[in-house]
Amino acid sequence: MRTVTRVTVPIIILVSVALFLQGHNQPGGGFIAGVLTSTAFALVYIAYGPEFLENDILGRDVDTAIEHLRHGVVADYRRLYAAGLTLAAGSGLAAVLYGYLYTDSGIPFMSQSYTFVHLPLYGELEVASALAFDLGVYAVVVGAVLTILSVVGVE
Amino acid sequence: MQPNPDSVAVVTLVALPFLAAAATPLVFRWLGERTAYYAATVALACFGLTASQYGATGTVSYAWVPAMDVSVRFYVDGLALLVGFLASGIGVLVFTYSAGYMHGEPGQAKYYTTLLAFLGSMLGVAFAADLLALYVFWELTSIASFILIGHYTGERSSRYAARKSMLITVGGGLFMLAGFLLVWSATGTFDLHALVTQPEQYRAMLRDAGLLLPAVALIGVGAAAKSAQVPLHIWLPNAMEAPTPVSAFLHSATMVKAGVYLVGRFRPFLLTDEWTLLFTVLGLLTMTVAAVLAVASTDIKELLAYSTASHLGLIVAGFGFASIYGAETGAFHILNHALFKAPLFLVAGIIAHEAGTRRIADLGGLADDLPITAAVAVVASLGMAGVPPFNGFYSKELLFESAWHAAEHAGGLAWLYPVVAVLGSVFTFLYSIRFLMLFFGEKPDALSHVHRPPASMWAPAALLGALAGLVGLGGVLATLGVAPAPIDHFVATVVGSVAAESVHGFHYYVPTHLTPAFAMSLVTIALGVVAYPFYGAIHDGVNALLAAVPPLRANWWYDSAVFGANPASVTVTDTVQNGLLRTYATWTLGAAVALTLGGYVLANVAPAVDTVTLVSAPIVLVLLVAVVAAFAVSIAPSHIAGVLTLSILGFMVAIFYILASAPDLALTQLVVETLTLVIFVLVLDRLPAFYGEIKRSRALRDGVLSVLVGATVTLTVLVTTRATPDKSIMEYYVSESIPQGGGGNIVNVILVDFRGFDTLGEISVIAMAALSVLTLIGMRERGEAS
Repeated sequence: MRTVTRVTVPIIILVSVALFLQGHNQPGGGFIAGVLTSTAFALVYIAYGPEFLENDILGRDVDTAIEHLRHGVVADYRRLYAAGLTLAAGSGLAAVLYGYLYTDSGIPFMSQSYTFVHLPLYGELEVASALAFDLGVYAVVVGAVLTILSVVGVE
Repeated sequence: MQPNPDSVAVVTLVALPFLAAAATPLVFRWLGERTAYYAATVALACFGLTASQYGATGTVSYAWVPAMDVSVRFYVDGLALLVGFLASGIGVLVFTYSAGYMHGEPGQAKYYTTLLAFLGSMLGVAFAADLLALYVFWELTSIASFILIGHYTGERSSRYAARKSMLITVGGGLFMLAGFLLVWSATGTFDLHALVTQPEQYRAMLRDAGLLLPAVALIGVGAAAKSAQVPLHIWLPNAMEAPTPVSAFLHSATMVKAGVYLVGRFRPFLLTDEWTLLFTVLGLLTMTVAAVLAVASTDIKELLAYSTASHLGLIVAGFGFASIYGAETGAFHILNHALFKAPLFLVAGIIAHEAGTRRIADLGGLADDLPITAAVAVVASLGMAGVPPFNGFYSKELLFESAWHAAEHAGGLAWLYPVVAVLGSVFTFLYSIRFLMLFFGEKPDALSHVHRPPASMWAPAALLGALAGLVGLGGVLATLGVAPAPIDHFVATVVGSVAAESVHGFHYYVPTHLTPAFAMSLVTIALGVVAYPFYGAIHDGVNALLAAVPPLRANWWYDSAVFGANPASVTVTDTVQNGLLRTYATWTLGAAVALTLGGYVLANVAPAVDTVTLVSAPIVLVLLVAVVAAFAVSIAPSHIAGVLTLSILGFMVAIFYILASAPDLALTQLVVETLTLVIFVLVLDRLPAFYGEIKRSRALRDGVLSVLVGATVTLTVLVTTRATPDKSIMEYYVSESIPQGGGGNIVNVILVDFRGFDTLGEISVIAMAALSVLTLIGMRERGEAS
């Protein structure tokens, strides 16, 4: 079980990143990538137990369940989905703000512009402004699912 | 040509009390008991603003929900101004009076806040020109009344009274809302001003839709509940649990006037034969029944409460009559009733405060100790009794006039109108004189020296009494040839806004020769004088009758219904919510299936038959595997096995999506399925391997339910996909996704671009779910949750 986890988790995370980046043009996107990333974490939980992430990887010393919830990874997850929600809302509101500042009338909640960035190794990547929103979705999904997972898991 | 109302003044007028109410808790910290004068100042400002609009007619309007043609419209006319004057003017006096009466009482910040909010709602009711806005303000008055009646939250009787008034008035409000919606469905407008100024056109629309009678009846129920008409009058006597200034303000002068205001407001629009029959019968019945009950009451505030219901009945009956006299009766009596009833309540408050009792039998001879109060009581009670030349006499004359008029026109049974009107008035005369006699005659020994009230208490009562006397004096002057022009003019504008007929001014005077109406007044007074010596016998007789035959009392019906509902609700709770997850699921799913299927049957929908176009060998195979897996789940020997087989089902669905060329969905399904499986495995670690056998009957019930749920879902899918939407939706997304969204994956572009706002909502839900799990499970050790 641990061997399989060791092998698969990096692959899963890589795939999820790929899914996230290609989501705009091919099957994929923030939601799916988020769920997939969460699955990778869940596998780690099952194979190594809930304390592994906290004590062995992050090197924190967290003993009780309540400590775990308030200061440990759960707090990080909580920050993650809060940040995601802020990012998603902010990216939409930015367009509204832009509309009020630079055009005569307000423009809708989301509007769109995009550009292409050349990344080494990966090749041409399309960076759309919607990617920010999608990143927010991704963060919320990962944060929320992992919160639920660890809280229920600790139980 | 009348000037248009000033929009700023009208909006300020309605908004000011609410703003003042919001600030009251802070002000109270600063001013303490003197908050009463702060509130009085606010009411005075409202009075000034109302006065500044005197003579104006018209609407001011601001869009609120433009998509549904709902606006915040305010409408200024005579009736609105009358109610506005009453609410703000009596408000000033009642707030001043409260400074004395509420001295040392608990919960004063709450008291003034609510009373100010009430003032705002009442002004809103008076000036709102949109049916929905009217409804909102209307219910706000009910809520304010609820809080004020239950002011002494520790008293069981206060809570009972508050709940009762809430049930009846808010319930009535819902009837009224239904009536408004009927009006809207037939005429397509919520604009009260349009309805009232072009009545023929809209009435015809309503009649053609067959909704005239239901609309009149529903609005009538709302008005009757608010104005305490029989048999919904029962909340008003209980409402006397509230502090006396509240009784004077809400339950005699303003809130209960909302009902008669509504009747008057809709009168030009809805006046038909049905209207006349409904409201005259209702009004005269209320007038008589409540007057009899007032004679039977033993407490001065209870007497005044029944008397209020009785006089409101008189106003409603007046508005019911189709002649111009009817309109004049209602319009003039609203004014007169407020002018004599508000001071009487204040007088009752003074008596209760200074003598320490409200029992009629324990009181008497108070005039020696309370001369000013006694003088006010004389003017006000004789007005209430309808004795010339006091103010109530003139409007009662108008009622007799309209009753006589209607009887002459219709003949036959309609002669009951004048007979019942006289009968009700005789009882009115009786209890008015009884109230007056509290100040005269022998003073009981138990009653020691009664202190004079502070000026803040007697001055408002005296001022109102003086106004009532002034209106009475106006009639005498008119007879002598000097017409009281300001009063005549004001009442004429009010009559103008409630009359369906054309109005030619308004005059009132003491008759100098014998008319039928004057004769009826004389008969009333003569009968009253003859019957007064038997007051005690009548009082005891009515009480004995009510005690002997409980179903005669509307309260008996109310109490039986309310207290009978308690055991029923306990039974329902025990059956539906017994703490077992299985029971909850059964009821929820069963109810959902029943509602959905019932809806389909009622809406007469049928599933499409020719939607099955995707059938191919691989799909059939995949679905068959899924079905087999579903059966396997139900016979799985352990939870782990069950979950694993369930995920076979999930993966089959994913493959189905791939075959149906929906790769995004398939991907999502696969990933979510995997995650679910992982979570299950994580959780199941701790659960017992198996729960054991279940009963055959329960298995059968669950099986039937699951089949039903499945059938409903299938049917729903078939029904919802039957409608073939315009191809343009799909084509729009296909053609626009790259230029507008810059992405080739339409599903994702829709999610993050076209429907980005929806997605934001969805991820907020996910975040909220995580938060609630955190709170419910994660934080429970902190010991705050339970």
